[in-house]
Amino acid sequence: MQPRDALTENLATHFNDRTISFDEPRQFPLARRTAAVIAAWLVPGAGHLVLGKNGRALLFFITIAGAFALGLVLSGHLYWPTPDPASTVGFDLITVLWFFTQVGSGLCYIISYLLGLGTASIPQAAASPTFEYGNTFMILAGLLNYLVVYDAFDIAAGRKR
Amino acid sequence: MHVLMMSVYAAMAAVVLAAVDPKSNTTRQRFLHGLKIFGSFLGIGLLLSWILFPIPW
Repeated sequence: MQPRDALTENLATHFNDRTISFDEPRQFPLARRTAAVIAAWLVPGAGHLVLGKNGRALLFFITIAGAFALGLVLSGHLYWPTPDPASTVGFDLITVLWFFTQVGSGLCYIISYLLGLGTASIPQAAASPTFEYGNTFMILAGLLNYLVVYDAFDIAAGRKR
Repeated sequence: MHVLMMSVYAAMAAVVLAAVDPKSNTTRQRFLHGLKIFGSFLGIGLLLSWILFPIPW
């Protein structure tokens, strides 16, 4: 063993190379991954909360729930697939498409539907000058939440931070 | 009214798109990316409206 005074090698460079990052992407257990994805769909931002990304969770909740609420205030309509015997698939395709986009916002859609918000008939809702704006914001909320669900899945799978 | 709604829409979309961007690693990078998205939404929206304005239908 070398005496301390005889050491000539610069040890600082070795220690600099051994930095440990505490924020590296890591794969979460299957149960937590599944919980994160389901929570992310049900409540915007809840998936990130499950994964410990609290700041992003709050940001997503405010933005997406805010967009949905703004859509309701602007007289948007909650769409549900309407049967259409003339269509080859048996449903009016545009209502299927819009339902798919809006239901992405999870409980925002389900609770509003159960409370009867945004369920006025389309001619009645369309009488409001802000009807189209409202629909656009609710569609935006659903589509953005799909992205957030994918993001939560990527984080849980260890593909990103 | 329309420009206000477009700006709110752009802001909400920009916030989420910037936050999920896999290439941005720091808050500053996400913020700048969000600003770019917001500006792009507004710029392209105004450009399209300017191009489409003379069309009567």
